[in-house]
Amino acid sequence: MFELAEYLLRGALLGVTYGLLAFPVSLLFVTTGSVDVALGAYAVLAAAIMYTVGGPAGVILAIGAAVLASTVVGLISMRLNRPGAVDHVIAVLGTFGLATFLESFILTIFGTSPMIRQPFATFWDFGNIRISPQMGINLAVCIVIVSILFIVLQRTPFGRAMRASAVNPVGAALNGIPVRLIWFTTYVLGGLLAGVAGVLILFSTGADYSTAFTLTIWGFGSAIIFGMHSPLRGFAGGLIIGIVQALSSGYLPGGWATAAPLIFIFVILSMGRMNQIAATGGRV
Amino acid sequence: MQGSRLKLLMPALSVVVVIAVISPFIFSSPFWLDNSVLVAIFSLMALSVGMAYGQAGILSIAPAAFASVGAFATSVVTTRYGLSPLIGLVLALVLPMVLAYPMARAITRLSPLPLSIATLLLSLVLELAIREGGDFTGGYIGLSGIPTLWFAPNLVSMHILGWMLVALVLILYVNLTNSAIGRAVRTARHDPLRATADGVHVPSLLAVYFALSASVAGLAGWLYAHHLTYMGPDSLTMHVSIKIMLMAVIGGASTFLGPILGAAFLTLITLYLPAAETQGMIFGAVLIVVLLVAPNGVLGTDWRTFFNGKKRKSDVARVQPAVGGGAA
Repeated sequence: MFELAEYLLRGALLGVTYGLLAFPVSLLFVTTGSVDVALGAYAVLAAAIMYTVGGPAGVILAIGAAVLASTVVGLISMRLNRPGAVDHVIAVLGTFGLATFLESFILTIFGTSPMIRQPFATFWDFGNIRISPQMGINLAVCIVIVSILFIVLQRTPFGRAMRASAVNPVGAALNGIPVRLIWFTTYVLGGLLAGVAGVLILFSTGADYSTAFTLTIWGFGSAIIFGMHSPLRGFAGGLIIGIVQALSSGYLPGGWATAAPLIFIFVILSMGRMNQIAATGGRV
Repeated sequence: MQGSRLKLLMPALSVVVVIAVISPFIFSSPFWLDNSVLVAIFSLMALSVGMAYGQAGILSIAPAAFASVGAFATSVVTTRYGLSPLIGLVLALVLPMVLAYPMARAITRLSPLPLSIATLLLSLVLELAIREGGDFTGGYIGLSGIPTLWFAPNLVSMHILGWMLVALVLILYVNLTNSAIGRAVRTARHDPLRATADGVHVPSLLAVYFALSASVAGLAGWLYAHHLTYMGPDSLTMHVSIKIMLMAVIGGASTFLGPILGAAFLTLITLYLPAAETQGMIFGAVLIVVLLVAPNGVLGTDWRTFFNGKKRKSDVARVQPAVGGGAA
């Protein structure tokens, strides 16, 4: 029982960063109907830069690089997936191209070694469960960011414009809302959040060049569990994915431990969480 | 009638003519024969992407994963049980289909986008399964000693067999595309509601088409295993899938000859590229440039109108009646 409690707690804390990746997945899907496969690559890029540079300058450079990469993806996707000529799959292919580019870039510049930093030598003790203070920092950062985003989405004119663009892009454009700019901003926001997630991942579980696609999958899986149409629910989904990962690592042998969360996401996918998009044959 | 039949055979005939012209020049060079067989194998995989993405609009990120299912199927039955490679061929054709159909049926109920993500998941899970397969798949060491084909024991015969299979797949693919099923698939791709109104059961149709494309990839895997005589966990990974997708997109995924042109171009250019780790940057950048400049690929773009600066047909074809599908 103690073991189970430990896995649940560790999993939930691990899932906090996935929740941060899930937020842009949902937001982008709701706003543009597409998925940015390069999200995990932004996070790994940020982790690699933070690992190399370090300190406050490292944080700024890491998040800046992730934002820059997402800006490039935003520009590409705007060209490929513009209002009036929508092809969600071709936009996904474009982001896939950049993800491949970034993965190779990270491999060439930073090498194959795992990148991880352990900033704390002492641990917190919760009923004999030892937790790194870094997990507390991850939780606090994520709660603050998600709260800010919630306020921005629900209480500011920009958030209203974003929601209007998501619900009815044609109607929003007719009302003077710059839909294309909103779409572009959503991509950049995704890069910002992935950059923060990358820095947190460096200080908790670590990353290497090959984790880009898996991080995208964790973010995507987190986003679909409670429905792609609510960015905030994606955060809760992140906790579930983290718990599934921790339980798999604890109770399943070798390769199954890695495969089980992927199979779990596949099962969630097959339950039809993303199918609303074409329920009317694309004639929304 | 004869003219239309000839038109259907044109893509396969073009391939046969080109190979017939090239063959005498490469017969004496094992290096070029080996690369020719590889181009044929990658052409089959790229044709599988062409079927799934170019025709049905399903972006499969796992052509190499389906090929590895076919490759490991034949590797296991020939090395572990001593069975004929022809039994391996049957398994290589059937197993990817058996895997792809229920997956597509479960997920393509309505939208092809989640299926793309599911193929990415499949790719990752299969790589893990091969690594953790122990003695059955050879684990991290892989399976060596896969027999060469008794009816194609040397490079020349492999070269001929490989391109014969490409021509055969092309004939079947062209016929399928020009049949009622092919027209239904294209309608379902562009407007599922319209296809449903026409009496097409869109999810099962797309799932069957996706399964067929997986089977073509399985065939490529079968040829790959018996050509290289070794299959390991790093043989057909997701990076190969990325390359295959790029081949199809560069050549023109929706055309019949585009994937083959892309496969030839990329396989040959890879010979002259720098170290493997930097190739991803080049492939990724090329993919983005191609999507931006000519999203329908080299053979799918109307270059005359393109250079005349007129509105491209490709853009017209991609226009859908409404935007913002995610907001449904």
